[in-house]
Amino acid sequence: MNPVPAIETKELTICFGGHTAVDSLNLSVEPFTLKSIIGPNGAGKTTLFNLISGQYSPTSGKVLFNGKDITRMDVATRANMGIGRSFQLTNIFPSLTVLENVRLALQAKEKIGMVFWRYYRDFPELEDKAYDLLKQVLLHEKWSTEASLLTHGEQRKLEIAILLALDPRVLLLDEPTAGMSLEDVPGILDIIQEIKDSRTRTILLVEHKFDMIMTLSDTIAVLQEGRIICDDTPQAVSNNEKVLEAYLGGGVKA
Amino acid sequence: MTQTPTLVEKDRMDERAKRFKSPTFNLQLAVIFILAVAPFIIPSFTFMDVMAKIMIFAVVVASFDLLLGYTGILNFAHGMFFGVGAYSVALILYYSKSPGWHHILLAAVISLVISIVLSLVISFFSLRVKAIFFAMLTLALAEFAHILAVQWTSLTGGEDGISFVLPGIFNFSWSGPTFFGTQMNGRLMVYYLILVCAVFLFAGLVRFVRSPLGRVLKSIRENEQRTVALGFKTFGYQIYAIVFSAAISSLSGILFAMWICYVNPDSVFHTAIMVNILLMVLIGGMGTLYGAMIGAAFLIVTETWLPSILKAGASFAPDVAIIQNLSDRWQLYFGILFVLVVMFFPKGVIGTIRAMLGQKK
Repeated sequence: MNPVPAIETKELTICFGGHTAVDSLNLSVEPFTLKSIIGPNGAGKTTLFNLISGQYSPTSGKVLFNGKDITRMDVATRANMGIGRSFQLTNIFPSLTVLENVRLALQAKEKIGMVFWRYYRDFPELEDKAYDLLKQVLLHEKWSTEASLLTHGEQRKLEIAILLALDPRVLLLDEPTAGMSLEDVPGILDIIQEIKDSRTRTILLVEHKFDMIMTLSDTIAVLQEGRIICDDTPQAVSNNEKVLEAYLGGGVKA
Repeated sequence: MTQTPTLVEKDRMDERAKRFKSPTFNLQLAVIFILAVAPFIIPSFTFMDVMAKIMIFAVVVASFDLLLGYTGILNFAHGMFFGVGAYSVALILYYSKSPGWHHILLAAVISLVISIVLSLVISFFSLRVKAIFFAMLTLALAEFAHILAVQWTSLTGGEDGISFVLPGIFNFSWSGPTFFGTQMNGRLMVYYLILVCAVFLFAGLVRFVRSPLGRVLKSIRENEQRTVALGFKTFGYQIYAIVFSAAISSLSGILFAMWICYVNPDSVFHTAIMVNILLMVLIGGMGTLYGAMIGAAFLIVTETWLPSILKAGASFAPDVAIIQNLSDRWQLYFGILFVLVVMFFPKGVIGTIRAMLGQKK
């Protein structure tokens, strides 16, 4: 197996004022595996994602992507390198059509954003590919709908289609099932399972649904107050005392 | 690929088939046709003057709309680029001993270079600051250009401005054969030059907003964070839009100067022009592009004919002093008209009509 981790952080730290949200964090994600990141609210999960995808720059420490230091690169550069990001709050282009949302991502991937002398629909291959991606997430029948009119679950599926369009090597999924109705959850799970089984992409997943994480993950990292307290297989993590304390004991203490 | 076309393929083919049959396309042809035959139907100079100015300002306003409506950038130096174009053609033709075709082309090249360089400087220095500061900075720059045109009397003639003559068939003393009872002359030739250029520039703007680049601009306005996360470097795209619109604005400045053969600081650099452009965008509808035509037409038509209509109305009561005085203040009525338009068309004329049509679907 490839010894170089797909994503690695070294002593990664970020402070907001006096609060250290992520504290000397060392994380390593093997290529083509799925690692979940769990932890109580405020543990720094989303902050960690923002550091990896470039929304925040760290106070100190490094982020490596396939062994390459990307700490000083901006969001767009990282996205072009193959780090795709979904957001905790649905993040789409609400007044564009479903197809157009995905087509724009493909356009970014194909680097034809600077073309201003051609009609945008004169790139049929983009539209057809976008349609195929929508088929993968079972949204193709709504391709011409305005994205804001989709249900919440459908919007999250659209986000995944947008991500897949970027063909990223690393997927950062921030609570993909957040706020979803129960009947929509299995659909998303199937999609993530499918991506994982293809073993062509590395996935980092933040989730709260414990049973879902147990079945999906190769490894689980548990975060508490900006530090990793445990990083192991799902089996080991569920038996780890520190983890039980963080989840159960911490609640009792408060 | 599959045998039966997917829904998207079908939709695309439908659109392509209807490209030259759609009502919008026919409407565009009709507008061009009306503008082309107008001088033959109504051979009045005022009328032609209004039509020419509408065409020029429709392009200026549309290029401003590209920034404000599609990209969300408020650039008060837009009117300045218009002045740059106007002054470059005026100065070159004035100082050349025997003005020729190549001088106009030279003016176009020079004004393009100046406006591209200036707009690059503006965007690099100020796009990173907040929108309101960007607006203020560009306003200051535009004011600086106005002062420069006034003060640099040895070059620009100061407040007096410069008048110049056009070469060849565009010269106002040139006269040609007669068609359908209308004699061809220099004015008419300039009119047609404006028509051709305006159609060309406007089409360029429409293509720009519907290009892949235009879609990225739209997505930036819609959700900048997501656009960046897709891998688009938004800064570069915004620069593109500023430079493109500045270039178009300066080219239409050339047309404007050629139409009146005279420029002075107040006629092309004054803030009032910028305010007019802003009014035209609001009247026509931001982010619609075609609204620029409506806005320009509304403003220029009222500006030209409202005073005389008021005068005609007042002549029915020649002895009532208050009516006479009221009829002199045409801008008062223009203000009322503007308020009415904004009240009944909150998104501008085209914007509101589109919203209404969208609701009916």
